[in-house]
Amino acid sequence: MKINRRDFLKMGGGAGAAVALGGGFWKWSQFPVAEKPNAPGVEKWIPTICGQCMGGCGILVRVIDGWAVNIAGNPLHPVNRGTLCPKGIAGLQGLYDPDRIRTPLKRIGKRGEGQWQPISWVEALQMVTSSLKELRKNGESYQLMVLGGKYRGLMRSLWERFLEAFGSPNYIDNQFQWEGTPTEGLFLTQGIYSTPAYDLENVQYLLSFGSELLESYWSPVQVLRAYGYFRRGKPGQRGKLVQIEPRLSITGIKADEWIPIQPGAEGILALGIAHMIIKEGLYKKDFASNHTFGFEGWTDENGKEHLGFKEFILSEYEPNVVSKKTGVPVDTVIRLAREFATNQPSLAIGYRDRPFHQMAVSVLNGLTGSIDTTGGILIPRNVPYQAFPPFKKDTIAQKGLDKERIDGGKGLRRVIHQPYLFAQNVLSGRPYKPKALFLYYTNPLFSNPKPDLFSKAFAEIPFIVSFSPYMDDSTHFADLVLPDHTPLERWQDDPLFLNNGFPVLGIRQPVVEPLYQTKATGDVLLTIAKLLGGEFRTALPWNDFKEVMAYGFKGIFEAKRGDVFGLQFEEAWTRLLQRGGWWAPSYKTTEELWKLIQERGGWWDPLYDFGEWERIFQTPSKKFEFYAQGLKRLASSPLSKSNGDPSFLPHWEEPKKMSDEKLYPLHLHIFKTMAVTGSRNANQPWLSENFGPHLLERWITWVEINPHTAKELGISEGDWVWVESTFGKIQAKARLYQGAMPDVVNIPFGLGHASGGRWAKDLGANPYHLLGDDLDPLTGNPIQRSPRVKIYKA
Amino acid sequence: MHRWGMVIDLDKCSGCQACVVACHAENNIGIIGPEESAKGRTISWIELIPYIEGEYPHIKARLLPRPCMHCDHPPCTKVCPVNATYKNEEGLVAQINYRCIGCRYCTTACPYTVKYFNWYAPQWPKEMKGSLNRDVSIRTKGVVEKCTFCSHRLLKAREKVKAEGRDLLPEDYIPACVQACPGGAMYFGDLNDPFSTVSTLSRERRAFRLMEDLGTEPKVYYLSEGM
Repeated sequence: MKINRRDFLKMGGGAGAAVALGGGFWKWSQFPVAEKPNAPGVEKWIPTICGQCMGGCGILVRVIDGWAVNIAGNPLHPVNRGTLCPKGIAGLQGLYDPDRIRTPLKRIGKRGEGQWQPISWVEALQMVTSSLKELRKNGESYQLMVLGGKYRGLMRSLWERFLEAFGSPNYIDNQFQWEGTPTEGLFLTQGIYSTPAYDLENVQYLLSFGSELLESYWSPVQVLRAYGYFRRGKPGQRGKLVQIEPRLSITGIKADEWIPIQPGAEGILALGIAHMIIKEGLYKKDFASNHTFGFEGWTDENGKEHLGFKEFILSEYEPNVVSKKTGVPVDTVIRLAREFATNQPSLAIGYRDRPFHQMAVSVLNGLTGSIDTTGGILIPRNVPYQAFPPFKKDTIAQKGLDKERIDGGKGLRRVIHQPYLFAQNVLSGRPYKPKALFLYYTNPLFSNPKPDLFSKAFAEIPFIVSFSPYMDDSTHFADLVLPDHTPLERWQDDPLFLNNGFPVLGIRQPVVEPLYQTKATGDVLLTIAKLLGGEFRTALPWNDFKEVMAYGFKGIFEAKRGDVFGLQFEEAWTRLLQRGGWWAPSYKTTEELWKLIQERGGWWDPLYDFGEWERIFQTPSKKFEFYAQGLKRLASSPLSKSNGDPSFLPHWEEPKKMSDEKLYPLHLHIFKTMAVTGSRNANQPWLSENFGPHLLERWITWVEINPHTAKELGISEGDWVWVESTFGKIQAKARLYQGAMPDVVNIPFGLGHASGGRWAKDLGANPYHLLGDDLDPLTGNPIQRSPRVKIYKA
Repeated sequence: MHRWGMVIDLDKCSGCQACVVACHAENNIGIIGPEESAKGRTISWIELIPYIEGEYPHIKARLLPRPCMHCDHPPCTKVCPVNATYKNEEGLVAQINYRCIGCRYCTTACPYTVKYFNWYAPQWPKEMKGSLNRDVSIRTKGVVEKCTFCSHRLLKAREKVKAEGRDLLPEDYIPACVQACPGGAMYFGDLNDPFSTVSTLSRERRAFRLMEDLGTEPKVYYLSEGM
């Protein structure tokens, strides 16, 4: 069969995808292999994975004379298919950031003074190793903590393996709550503590409960591509989007309907909708009877009768009750329920609210049976890495691992990580105080609410090592900095999945020689392991991180599934064969796989197996749970005061009154924008310059106020104002915005770094300083997302 | 002869600004910084323009990516005293930086406000200089710049197809913004070819152009949101 360019375009599906795919600039056959030396004047496009966020997009970096000069999407990578988001393109400014840390740094002078002495790697590694040896010698191995941020793949396994060999149970995930996906909702209903895939392309009716889909989804390009397809990809079937949110966000602007709601009340609206769906009998009865648990009342093995979800919802969440709490009219609640239940496939998607509010959104999908269906919630398979080789823990390690975790969780893997309890326990010294803290890919002094709590905790820890390539708010308080390579300079794997549930493994490879005296943290860990000797040699037998990847990838080969990225017709072929039980990949050996993965950017398994219920429902009942039985497994932590049935059913938890409502009359809603999301892209002018497009705001932090409210407060457009809560105050520029509710003001998160590069330090303000630290018992994260504030002219 | 044009489907556009940043990277647009930005001196060849109308809670809001319209009857070229801006035979409104005297008549004449003046010579820290795009010249102080539809890519594509001894195909030449667009909302091509994607879409029911009453005949079409 001969296929010409024009046929390609036709196959591309959406014309946009076709343009990118057939693009004469980047035919895959022209991809050079990265390991070729860089000849002068030669232009190359090297495939790698973007490191600007967790999105996992494949990129091609244009390299001329050893300089990376442009970044484009990799048309073969199924996550982004040749396209990018603004952050991805600004990856160049992450690499060539003039304020990068260029050598290991040792603190001189007091903590936080910002006085550093550049030292050699030999000396730096010596410092770390000797203090680690000291800890083990004194039997204090468990007092080493690793605070890890947002990244994926074998690097995480490597950290865990390192701590296991070292003897510390304290790897603490600082993936801060609101930045995550509604993980707890999935755990309570389906027993899986991770991120589900939303088959957004095929949704007909998308009901978003405050999900910042078009601004800060975990994989932005995937969701934006899906959005284009959702709207116009299916001829004659335009997907409908309803956004329920306290503020008119970009998602709200693009939605067909924006429903303003009191902050934090999204969950109760979801329950009101559930009430109407049940009352009108619009739920999917066969799904409810075959695949769910706790919908009707039930009796446990002790003969005790339990309340069913149906009964509970029908009695508690009448539309008029819901309307009173949310400010959403009764007829809207009824209409949404009817629209949601009748426009199939429909999907409800929330944000990482309090666990039972997430569950309230999740059960809507249970009612319509949008679980494991086209246009529903999918549970992707994992990328089949080869497991790390077994090793024998020495006695020090064993003793250390038997200790209680500092944040109250248990064991290494099957835990809910509670960074806030970590910080609080460091201060209280119970169960013990840490002796050393490693910071990897995290900046808690900036990106966690109430950053002061973490600064105070940091002051209690005698030895802090940061692996950040950039100076940031937390690294500023470290004693030693071992700068990592930036993503464009290092080897790394990036396992993730697509909206349609296909697992994908992207490969990040260096596109340029490291610019400075930095080292990949994976390599540094392996070197430290070598220096520590003993059991570390069998626990971490590799010389560098590339070897770890090659080791893990053997599992990919042995899984006998999937193929390396290819053109779309090749993929269709792979899928067809695999459905028929055949597997005919483009590679015959692991070496070939390794080589092809580098050339094309990665591997994937373009098949989703529907109906494997044991994978979809990992709850005790092996069903979708309207009654969260799985919670009992975790309920060792003080979960709910009352242990009655309603505390296991989706319910609304009335927020605690935080402060005097008269003194602080307004709610604060904190949001994110597409361009500026967090710490790692703080010093990239292309992004700060495009911070707030809907108000044409750049480089500063603003506060959105409803014009009527502003008039009452005597505040005019462009005034500088103080926004004050009981926990702190920040200065921002007042912007009158019709998309702000009269009693809610909105501030974007992103600026306000106390330390960092020339385009980050002291620009704007950080609204997280306005938040408190009242913790949710299940997640260990702060409850109060919307504190009360007052505003006055500065 | 080609007549290059663009179509932007607002129903697929999510307002992410990938086009804006892709343009910055492709065309060596200077880093303006917070102080100068506050004076309104930001340069953005393509910019996301918000239109927010109505009062809470009944608001009509639109986000519109706005490049140079490459008008068939451009008001800007008529006022240029030195012929630094002109419409070429393929319909691209071009700008010759070294001929520009910085009078800014064109910035005033353009009803779409797509022309930007360089108040200073663009500055980059020395660490970043090597990563500039070698295909696009850096502007100097006192000249006006604007979107070129990445015409340097057209020049490269022409050379390439000549070397390969074939005709220029639609996929040989697309601007950086269109290439980056994640929603697949932007299309680019030859409006003279009645079968090209852009021509087909420009005749669609949803198609409109900005300020059509001015008679500028823009070659950027928008497709409205909704059914």
